[in-house]
Amino acid sequence: MWKTLTLVTTALALVACSGNKSDEAPADIAATPESTAPDGATPGYSAERNAYFGDMHIHTRNSFDAYIFNVRRTADDAYRFAKGETIKHPSGFDMTIAGGPLDFYTVTDHAEYLGILPAMNSKDSPLSELPRSKDMFSTDPAKIQAAFQGVGASVRSGDKIAEMYDEPLINSVWGQNIAAAEKYNEPGVFTTFSAYEFTSVTTEDDEGGFGGGNLHRNVFFRGEAPDRAFSTLDSTNPEDLWDWMDAQRADGRESIAIPHNSNVSDGQMFRLETYNGDPLDAAYADQRNRNEPLVEVTQVKGTSETHPDLSPNDEWANFEIYDELLASNIVSKTNGSYVREAYQNGLKFQEEQGFDPFRFGMTAASDSHVAGGAYAENDFWSKIGIVDGLPFQRGSVPTPGITDWADQPDNQTTQSAKHWFSRWSASGLTGVWAEENTRDAIFDAFRRKETFATTGPRMKVRFFGGFGYTADTLNATDLAKQAYAGGVAMGGDLVGTGEAPNFIAWAIRDANSAPLQRVQVVKVTSGGEAVYDAACSGGTTPDASHRCPDNGASVDIATCTTTDGTGAGELKALWTDPDFVPGQRATYYVRVLENPTCRWSTWEANRNGTPPNPDLPTTIQERAYTSPIWYIPPA
Amino acid sequence: MRQLLREPLVHFIIVALLVFAGHAAWTSHVAARNGTITVTQEDMQRMAALYASESGALPSQADMAAMVSDKIRDEALSREARRLGLDAGDTIIERRLAQKMSFMVSDLADTPEPDETTLRVWYNAHTDAYTAPPSVTFEHVFLSTDRTDADTTTLLNTLNATSPPDWRTLGDPFILQRAYGDLPFRETVRLFGTDFAAALFALDASDAWQGPVRSALGLHLVHLVAKDEGSLRPFEEVRSRVEADWRDDALRTANETAIANIIKRYRIRIEGAE
Repeated sequence: MWKTLTLVTTALALVACSGNKSDEAPADIAATPESTAPDGATPGYSAERNAYFGDMHIHTRNSFDAYIFNVRRTADDAYRFAKGETIKHPSGFDMTIAGGPLDFYTVTDHAEYLGILPAMNSKDSPLSELPRSKDMFSTDPAKIQAAFQGVGASVRSGDKIAEMYDEPLINSVWGQNIAAAEKYNEPGVFTTFSAYEFTSVTTEDDEGGFGGGNLHRNVFFRGEAPDRAFSTLDSTNPEDLWDWMDAQRADGRESIAIPHNSNVSDGQMFRLETYNGDPLDAAYADQRNRNEPLVEVTQVKGTSETHPDLSPNDEWANFEIYDELLASNIVSKTNGSYVREAYQNGLKFQEEQGFDPFRFGMTAASDSHVAGGAYAENDFWSKIGIVDGLPFQRGSVPTPGITDWADQPDNQTTQSAKHWFSRWSASGLTGVWAEENTRDAIFDAFRRKETFATTGPRMKVRFFGGFGYTADTLNATDLAKQAYAGGVAMGGDLVGTGEAPNFIAWAIRDANSAPLQRVQVVKVTSGGEAVYDAACSGGTTPDASHRCPDNGASVDIATCTTTDGTGAGELKALWTDPDFVPGQRATYYVRVLENPTCRWSTWEANRNGTPPNPDLPTTIQERAYTSPIWYIPPA
Repeated sequence: MRQLLREPLVHFIIVALLVFAGHAAWTSHVAARNGTITVTQEDMQRMAALYASESGALPSQADMAAMVSDKIRDEALSREARRLGLDAGDTIIERRLAQKMSFMVSDLADTPEPDETTLRVWYNAHTDAYTAPPSVTFEHVFLSTDRTDADTTTLLNTLNATSPPDWRTLGDPFILQRAYGDLPFRETVRLFGTDFAAALFALDASDAWQGPVRSALGLHLVHLVAKDEGSLRPFEEVRSRVEADWRDDALRTANETAIANIIKRYRIRIEGAE
């Protein structure tokens, strides 16, 4: 298709040359196209890179904790959903992706006991004869719970349940997931990866089953995938996973791992020690950065950018905070659980010991366990299946038959909603800047960390750092080209010359979501953090305290209709750090804020004709986070 | 007793017992006659390949011997189990057999050969599948939200002047691409929003620059190079896809027919059903 356009353009230039429009038509139109696509490039190739959106974290029936909640959708169903087809939720309603098909999508079933629960529930399989199978698929809730908790405990401890651990079957299901990814991967149109989730959980002495701190990460293969997946049943230590990935890499099977839900890791995800409690060193940092260049910062189980306790001066820090450990009511430790603090600790390590174990970029995903992600506030179905599929189960509306929140009964459903589901989010998506929609181009973008995370909408944001950007650069029609040529993009290291760097922060709204309110730069140093508004909607500029004026946007809670105020389609700024200290390392990333809109729980309350749950925020400011640019002063 | 022997039911039972005894004798006779268990070279190669794919190494002599001995044990035990009738009434075995039979049926079902007329009939009956979505090929000069109408008029005149400057040097930078080829309607909505897509697809292709067209992002002067209304693609162009689709369907139908024919050989009785 791109070639067609180039030909058309060339033809037009020729027509123009032949005198239709002008005798002096610029002869260099065809000679200097915006992008020079190499041979074999797919349609839409752009040397200045396109924004592609995807969800890299999807579970299907083959995940033990999806099947138990009646999820029966397959990897095929998941990919069909991402391409715009409608599939069924286990609670019986239809799910169609909000905002149109995605560009990339990845099924990441839990590797532990992959595909085993479906076999345990199938009369075709000898596994169905196990007493545990009979309990798990009985009608007795106590037996079901005990059988399932046993599986969770095994995943957590790494101690295999021998009779359930049918390795040939697990490997064969892994092969099916690989085959599904291959089947739906279509260069130029839709990208998939072979991937799985490594499900490590820290142990809490007083918690049973699956409860504990989340050290989960998803493993993605660039191309060929191995015929078995390294799981917690091999080792619960993520550093052993990295060893395995290194070994696979040496055999030509390149991969990355993306950790998620650091917010409920109990301070373990960005802990300042190794898994076994040893001090970190340069070799650890190298191995971690090599294998984990990205972190998933927002998803259905909350946002892990920062916490109000860590960022008391950030007015937007209290956003979709979710902090109870997996399958537990224990509150996760804050320190060691959030991305911004990890960036700061990384700089401390760098300055004190010469290495930074936390130099990662940002992504987002849904972590849907029903094969399809719910990204829109006004069309939400949560995550798990039959336990959170309906509004009353997730606490957005009172128990059926009740209209006043004061009369809400205290039972298992309302407790689950209160502690977990009501605080979950319609989030998120990963944006990447890549030349084309192919596995190689997108995986390269992951490696470059040229990624951004959104809480659901598809706003697009670019971020560049350099030393010579000017107001002219900002208005040049080939801005992206000049910006790449004159500096580094998000995810890059900006090595200093001694002078102050400047940055270009540039965002456009999702045409099908709300307008933009502001673009901010978040600065992190070893000694602190600061949030600067860089671009304000309505053509206004930030005041002396680096804040935009109110743009007049509003939400009517009763109807969820919004007024745009001066909300912007596009925001763009040339930004210079007003507090720049030459010689000091600094990590900069961009946060883009939409105008406020109704939170999913408010939409559902309005549809139900009941008041919004008084314990929940009624509105939300959807946002995007870019991967940082790391400023490194001259030696 | 004599009276009893006259009862038809008793006759039936006796005959049935005789038949059963005969069948059992025959089965055991066959089992005895067919008392050889052969492990072929192909069997062993298959075992070795399976071993290698699971363990990543070729089997040693000892591994091979163990696998052959397992195979013999399984074969002998399963023949004995069948001889004793243990396969009847076992859900797992029944489903496996049905599955195997249905694979066999799909192998046996004739691969049909379509003629031209058949394919054209199929094509005409499934035009939706062969209709390309509407799409546009266009270039655009973007103007950020702050620009006034005066700017766009001047700019439009400049672009349509007899000696226009390179359009790529005009307007504001655009964060995405400034030229799109064959962009489908749905994709246009996704990138620029519904209003822009509707307005753009309402324009006619022209050498002249048109607009401004408003999007959620700002204003766009557009050079609509080509517009494809999303017509049905000619039969000749999609012939191979039509044939593949027809074949898939024909094979599926043939399989279903074959299975239905097998079912027809049985009288079906569902208790409790009308």
